[in-house]
Amino acid sequence: MSLAMEIGRIAEEKLGDAAPQLVTVAVDVGDSAGVEPSSLEFCLEAVFATPPFAGAKPHILRCSGDVLRVAYLEIDDGRPDD
Amino acid sequence: MAVRTIEVRERVMARNDEMAAQVRARLARYGVTAINLVSSPGAGKTTLLERTLGALGEELDIAVITGDVQTQNDADRLAVHTPRLVSAVVTGGACHLDALQVMTAIDAIELERTRLLFIENVGNLVCPANWDLGEKEMIVLFAVTEGEDKPLKYPKMFENARRVVMTKTDLLPHVPFDMDRAVANALSVNPALDVLRVSALTGQGLGEWFDFLRDSARPVSTSG
Repeated sequence: MSLAMEIGRIAEEKLGDAAPQLVTVAVDVGDSAGVEPSSLEFCLEAVFATPPFAGAKPHILRCSGDVLRVAYLEIDDGRPDD
Repeated sequence: MAVRTIEVRERVMARNDEMAAQVRARLARYGVTAINLVSSPGAGKTTLLERTLGALGEELDIAVITGDVQTQNDADRLAVHTPRLVSAVVTGGACHLDALQVMTAIDAIELERTRLLFIENVGNLVCPANWDLGEKEMIVLFAVTEGEDKPLKYPKMFENARRVVMTKTDLLPHVPFDMDRAVANALSVNPALDVLRVSALTGQGLGEWFDFLRDSARPVSTSG
């Protein structure tokens, strides 16, 4: 849970007032990172269901090595599609 | 809706690791050896520290930071055994200490009068394993009232530790705990682990623990 909370902190820091617009948080999880992806995903769902977020979905990207990092964030900027 | 992608590529632990490096550098300036004590809740961290402070608190100029989710009960217990400030960090729900909390806590500690600093982490065998606090070494307490397979269930904590202290050994005649199997499990996860066996209640094994601490603390400065 602590890792999910830290990911929430990073997202909030990057987005500021736009945090409620977050729709996806993508996290790289290495196979040697010592993290169970399904557990992290469960915790991330809980963190991102709580304000200032509004139900963003986690997207776990499996990779090799011990990497554990926030890969990218997707936000809905409210503008209509082109 | 229009979805915009923001590239981040930030290590999850980056900020904490940077702060831990600052803690480590600050402690090194004063020659303070920091030990991060971790375990399940109820494994005996506070009781071992009570005995340690009582025996070595003055000799080794020991200071303590305690972490708890709620209450400063542990700090209050330890304060009885030392004239030094016991710095309590109440995490307010978080399941571990982080390096920023330790940096803030050591602001209140007279580092020039400290040779050994104990950080009593929140009782939890999962989250604290991920958070470098700037310590010299992490020590896991493993009580004989737990299951012998704890190291297999929570390997990261035992992988990151240099030492495991088997606690509450006075209870061995009363519990179905296979010490050899427990130690073998710990060593299977981390063959480099040193293993101590203690009972803070009877004092059994504490001599070896105290000797280790004496070896870990920097010698008393004789200059100036």
